[in-house]
Amino acid sequence: MFRFIHSSDLHLGKRFGSFSGDLPGRLREARHGVIGRLAQHARDHGADTILLAGDTFDTETPAPDIRRQALAAMRDHAPIRWVILPGNHDSLQATQLWSTLKAEAPANVVLASEPAAIHLSAGAVLLPAPCTTRRPGRDMSAWMDGAATPEGALRIGLAHGAIRDFSEEGASSDVIAPDRAARAGLDYLALGDWHGPLAVDPRTRYSGAPEPDRFKHQRPGEALLVSIAGRSALPEVTSLATASFDWQMRELHLLDSDDPLQALDALLPESRQRRQTLLRLVVTGRSRLPSRTAMLEAVALAAPDFAFIELDDAGLAMDCEAGDLDLIDRAGALREAAEALLAEAGDDGLSAGEREIARAALARLFSYAQAVAS
Amino acid sequence: MKISALRLFNVKRFAGRGVAIEGIGDGVNVLCAANEFGKSTSFEALHALFFQPYSGKSGPVRNLRPYSGGNPLVEADIAHGEERFRITKQYYGGGFARVTDLASGRLVAQADEAENFISALIKGGPAGPAGLLWVRQGVTGIEKRSNAEEDGEKQVRASLLESVQGEVEAMTGGRRMAEIMQTVAGELDKLVTKRGPKAGGRYAAAIEVRDRLAAEEAQISADVGLLREALDKRATALKRLAELDGADERQQRQDAVASAQVAFEAAQAQGERLKTAEAEFKLARERRDGAGRALEAFRTALQKDADLAARRREAERRRGEAVGRRGEAAEASARAQAAADLADAQELETRELLARLDAALRAREAAERLAESRQRLSEAEAKRAALEEAEAQLALVGIQPGAIEELQALEIELSGLRAVAEAARPSVAVAYSVEAGGEIVMDGVPLADGQERSYDGQAQLVVMGIGVISLRSNKTPSGDRRLEQAEERRRALLDAMGVETLAAARARQVRAQQIDAEMRELRGSLSSLAPAGLARLREEVAAQALAGAELSEPEGDAAQLRAALSAAERQRLDARQALREAEPDRRRAEDAIVAAETALATLRTEQAHVEAQLGPEEQRAARERALCEDFADRSREAENADARAAELRAAAIDLVSAEAALKRARSVQSSVEQQIVALREAVAGLNAGIRARSDEAVEESWRETAEALSAAELRVAAFDKEIAVLQRLAVSLDRARSEARELYLKPVMAELSPLLGLLFDDASVTFDERTLLPQTISRNGQEEEVERLSGGMREQLSVLTRLAFARLLARGGRPAPVILDDALVYSDDDRIERMFDALHRQSRDQQIIVFSCRQRAFQKLGGNTLAMVDWRP
Repeated sequence: MFRFIHSSDLHLGKRFGSFSGDLPGRLREARHGVIGRLAQHARDHGADTILLAGDTFDTETPAPDIRRQALAAMRDHAPIRWVILPGNHDSLQATQLWSTLKAEAPANVVLASEPAAIHLSAGAVLLPAPCTTRRPGRDMSAWMDGAATPEGALRIGLAHGAIRDFSEEGASSDVIAPDRAARAGLDYLALGDWHGPLAVDPRTRYSGAPEPDRFKHQRPGEALLVSIAGRSALPEVTSLATASFDWQMRELHLLDSDDPLQALDALLPESRQRRQTLLRLVVTGRSRLPSRTAMLEAVALAAPDFAFIELDDAGLAMDCEAGDLDLIDRAGALREAAEALLAEAGDDGLSAGEREIARAALARLFSYAQAVAS
Repeated sequence: MKISALRLFNVKRFAGRGVAIEGIGDGVNVLCAANEFGKSTSFEALHALFFQPYSGKSGPVRNLRPYSGGNPLVEADIAHGEERFRITKQYYGGGFARVTDLASGRLVAQADEAENFISALIKGGPAGPAGLLWVRQGVTGIEKRSNAEEDGEKQVRASLLESVQGEVEAMTGGRRMAEIMQTVAGELDKLVTKRGPKAGGRYAAAIEVRDRLAAEEAQISADVGLLREALDKRATALKRLAELDGADERQQRQDAVASAQVAFEAAQAQGERLKTAEAEFKLARERRDGAGRALEAFRTALQKDADLAARRREAERRRGEAVGRRGEAAEASARAQAAADLADAQELETRELLARLDAALRAREAAERLAESRQRLSEAEAKRAALEEAEAQLALVGIQPGAIEELQALEIELSGLRAVAEAARPSVAVAYSVEAGGEIVMDGVPLADGQERSYDGQAQLVVMGIGVISLRSNKTPSGDRRLEQAEERRRALLDAMGVETLAAARARQVRAQQIDAEMRELRGSLSSLAPAGLARLREEVAAQALAGAELSEPEGDAAQLRAALSAAERQRLDARQALREAEPDRRRAEDAIVAAETALATLRTEQAHVEAQLGPEEQRAARERALCEDFADRSREAENADARAAELRAAAIDLVSAEAALKRARSVQSSVEQQIVALREAVAGLNAGIRARSDEAVEESWRETAEALSAAELRVAAFDKEIAVLQRLAVSLDRARSEARELYLKPVMAELSPLLGLLFDDASVTFDERTLLPQTISRNGQEEEVERLSGGMREQLSVLTRLAFARLLARGGRPAPVILDDALVYSDDDRIERMFDALHRQSRDQQIIVFSCRQRAFQKLGGNTLAMVDWRP
């Protein structure tokens, strides 16, 4: 029985410049914390090896503190062994990084920087496929097919890249053969690059990022605990929670009749989770002016609870009835202005931008009219 | 709303007392009083009642207070619809506000509620707007005033007009509209100004952040680019270095140099051998050529030897011939000499005989001639006398008569001499032997036996059976001296006569002939008598006389002797000629001998030389064979050497190529070494830059900045949208309000135009959209700014506008009083009357209260005259 933890895409040092305040720092710190959480899982589950399938560092030139602190943390978790594979973000082209890592790596950190077999234990051999450049342009795992390993030893592949055209970096030609495990007689192929966990086949998996860094994947970060009983036995894989921040994208679909506040309330996570939650709220459907105004206010009210909240209401169509305009004014110049804006918002002869501006102007007029009335 | 009474107590000049204006009714009410009567005080009190809160202590309130102090109290009765109220306000001490229902005496409201009630009356409350339309003394609402005052007034007016507007449209919203617009403007103002983003505003800050981030991003991006470039360069350099510096590569380069070196040395050695072989070949060739030349020389010498022998034989033969010829010539010469000597002797003998004969003959003749001469002498002397006379004449023109004759004689002598010379020419004579077969032909003419024939220069003798004998006379005849002398004399004679020739002399003589015609006869006689002259004749006579004494007898025949002499002379000349001819032959023969000897000697020398070359005759064949063999040997050697050299040439390695290859191999090695050094330096240089940039974590910064930049861009875009939304809203509201105002102003204009018609012909007014005040007036097609109008006209316009508004309000069932406080101070009488007309015209269902100090002028106004009465609360 060989047991190890499979993770990837730690992206240590990622700075999250799109956020403001102390959130980038917290997110960055959370990435560093993954090392400790992975090590804890390894200890808890009796695994002595952690395979990091590429993109351990976010850039080819991580700041010295990022690099040194990561290595120090790994060393502290000895005797757990860390295997670091160069990914596309920290490819071997970053010669400075890898030469420094070679010089600084503690004994329990193995750099899989050569496509050569690494003996993990008496009965398990690791076949790594390091990324030589940012875009190698070929399947780096091809060499595994012909790699010789001792009779009866487990063959474990370690590679970074897309198997289909769903790469994190967009379209790419250098895909890893999806059936590499079968072709190369691998007992398990640990893949990195895709930030969400994905089982390609029973022997081929993406672990996903242990700490998410975007709203794209609708799952919390996790790592995989892999146990292989022996040659020809299917690996036994268990998911381990590793994330400290929850990146959620929630869609709120409103219908005319829905009470937006109620729907929102049902959608938002519990208060105690909110501090560690980054939420993107995508509101779609249709709503009347008062509901919309109420919902916006509710979101604004809830925002401080969260690490980050983003509201995307571009998909929310506006329903407007005479009664809604009455709330602005029953007649007169204000009513005229409101009618004109409403007509413009629905005028197909205008550009989408102009319609959106008119729509927003009407919503604004509504909220101002309410404020004046109150 | 209508005002029915106004009361005030302790206001301004009414310290401690009060006045009341009661009975204000519908239509025009006029309070006409002198100045300082309290009109303006009443007006101000009424204004304060409606517009100043009771608790206020603002300027207008302070103005109400008398100098002595106290608490001003103002009270007005108003009718609002069917209801009638009393509004009372006291300022300062015990200040209050109170509204009571006049009908029931019920307190409707007090304090703040009362204030709210009042402002509802003015601004329009739950029961709809009412309002007061004020025109104060000299204040037309058009002039510039202090800002604060203006703003206050404007606010009041705006409020009033908005009530009007609301009334017209029967819709509320004006105030909300204004507030919303104010909010929108406020929001916009926080973000942008007319010139762009508001400095210090959030929008400007967002733009600034975005621009800063964009600049930073570009900077860091460039840094990242540099870093990546450096990394790539270093990777390339290291790869190249590994390639170049690899042991295999190094060994290969060294091997290349070594093998090129070996090749080069081999080529060099080969070259040396070739050079040697070439030298050997050259030597052999020279030796072969030498042998060939020796053989050739030997053979040439042999040939020459043979030639020389032949030529020597020829020369010897020629010498023999020449010797023979010399002998012959000597013999012929001797013979000729003998013949000449003989001829000389014969001639001499003959000549002596002839001389003697001549002498005898002459003596005889002399005797005869003496007798005759003496005869002639006597005759001649006679003649001579005559002649001398003639001669004297002749001497003048003629020449010496004898000279010509002398000359002639000389000519003759010359001919003679020449004949003699002719006789001295060489001649030839042949004595044929008996057995001679034929005659010798001389110059084509057969030469008879013994015939002597002379010739000039040369002659040819054709001897049958022998050949042609050439005769040459190379010697000029001697004895020509006389001829020369004769010629000399002749020349002298010609010179003496002064003529060139004999003919010339004769010509001269002819010329003289005429002169001495008679003399000729005389001379003829004389010459016949004394041919040689008289003196001569005398001498002759004397001489003849002497000579006659030794007279001897002549012996022999003179003609015979002469012929003999002539023959002897000819013989002698011939002999001389023959002798002269023989001599050249002899000399030529000797010359020929000398030439033959010389040629022979030369040939002998040459032959000796050739023989020296050839060696002894008996060894010559052997020597030639030896030379032949030597030449053959040398030729073979040369061929062998050539073959060896050719072989080497064919096998030669190109030394230049080998050297070039060696040089190239060495330069490759050295350039690679240099490249290695350069690459190491480059890598070292790159290392420093990469380390620095890596330590700065530029890529992380770059990503961070890029993300921040996109966030900032989103923020700016959000602001852009916000601004667009606000602007859009502002535009919509503005447009809606403008449209509404137009809608609202229409009735005002409708009301105003008949009023304007009262005062002005064909006039119309436009209103400022914001202030709703008259802006321009158009008269007779000309538009004028209201501000530029005269004061009177402005106040009239102001009043009319109020009247129009009031009328509008009244028509809507909400009448509002129009209060005019000395509002027509600038207007002339005519206009005032027209204004009065207008006021009355408008006063139906309308309350107009006019305060004026112009009592007389306003008497014509008519209407309800008001009076001020004392009042105490």
